[in-house]
Amino acid sequence: MSLRSQLLKGILEGCILSIIQQQPTYGYELSVKLQEFGLANVSEGSIYPILLRLQKENLIQGEMKQSDSGPKRKYYYLTNEGHEALEQFIHHWTTIKQPVDNIIGKGGKIR
Amino acid sequence: MNTKDLIQLNNEKREQLTEENEKYYGDMLVYIRMNLNKSERYTEEVLLEMLEHLLQAQAEGKTARDVFGEDPKTYCQDIIEEIPSEKKTNRLPFILFIMMRLISIVGLTAGIVGFALYYFFDLGSGNISFPVVSGTLIVLIDLLLLGLFLFILSKWIKSSTFKEKQPKKWVEFLQLWLLCTLFISLTLIVLRFMPDFGSVFHISFPVFILFGAVLYIISFVMNKKMRLIS
Repeated sequence: MSLRSQLLKGILEGCILSIIQQQPTYGYELSVKLQEFGLANVSEGSIYPILLRLQKENLIQGEMKQSDSGPKRKYYYLTNEGHEALEQFIHHWTTIKQPVDNIIGKGGKIR
Repeated sequence: MNTKDLIQLNNEKREQLTEENEKYYGDMLVYIRMNLNKSERYTEEVLLEMLEHLLQAQAEGKTARDVFGEDPKTYCQDIIEEIPSEKKTNRLPFILFIMMRLISIVGLTAGIVGFALYYFFDLGSGNISFPVVSGTLIVLIDLLLLGLFLFILSKWIKSSTFKEKQPKKWVEFLQLWLLCTLFISLTLIVLRFMPDFGSVFHISFPVFILFGAVLYIISFVMNKKMRLIS
C-alpha cells in the first residue's frame, strides 16, 4: 500500500472513531456524517472494511438494535480501548497538524 | 439474533433491490459468503449492513456502483481480509452434524433397502457384514472426499461471480456435472477396491435401521437446538 493511502486510512479511522464516540452510529449514518463534514471523495463503501478492522482490533463493538425508524440496525460503540486509541489519534493529529499547516502556508519556506 | 435470522432478513430485503443493483450486490454476496473459514456471524452482519446501505442509497437514486465503486472484486477482497476467522468451537458442531446426518442417511437407506430385498424378494443374506477397520476407513475417506468436493464447489461458485458476460448455461452445467461425477466415482472406487480387513461384524437390518434412526434423531435435535442449517 502506498504511503499516501496509508496516511488517509489512518486519518479516516480516527474520524470514524471520533464520530462513533459522539453517538452510537450505524453504517449508513456514519457515511452520511463523513460526507457532511466534507469528506466527500471517500467512497461510501470504504467504511465497511474499516469498521470490520476496528472491530477486530476491539476498538469498537457492534450491537443489533431496533432503530427509531423501524428496522434493526447494527450500532457501533467505542470500547475502552477505542477511547484510548481515539485520544492517541487526537494527540498525534494535533502535533502534526500545526507544523504541516505552517509548512504549506509558507510555501515550504523556512522563516 | 441468530445468523440464520440475518440470512433470512437479507433474503427478504434483497427483493427490494432494482435489477441492476441486485446483480451487483448478489455477486458480492456470493463472493463474500463462499469463504467457509471466515466467521459466519461477522460475514452475515457486514452483508446485511451493506444491503441496508445500498437500499438507502437506492432510495436516493444512487446505484451500487456509486456506493461500492467500480471494482467490486477488489472491494470484496478488502472486506474478506478483515473478517475474522471462524472459531474452532463454532465449527466443530457443524462438522459433527454433517457427519452424523450423512452416516444416518446412508445407514437408513442401506438398512431399509437391504431389509426389503431380503424379506420381500429373498435377496441378500439378511444382514450387513461390516469389517470394522476397513469399513471405518471407507467412511473416513468418503467424508474427506466430501470435504474436498465442497471446497472445490465453493471455489467454483466463487469464480462464477463478477463476470461481464454471462457464461453459457450448458458450459456451467457440464463443469458441475463433471465435478459431481468425479466425486461419486471416487467414492465408489474406494468402496469397490478397499480390501476387507479387521474383524467382521454382522449386523441385522433392523438394528442397522435403528442405528441410522437414532443418529438421525440426534442430528435433528442438534440442529433444532443450535440451528446449524436453515
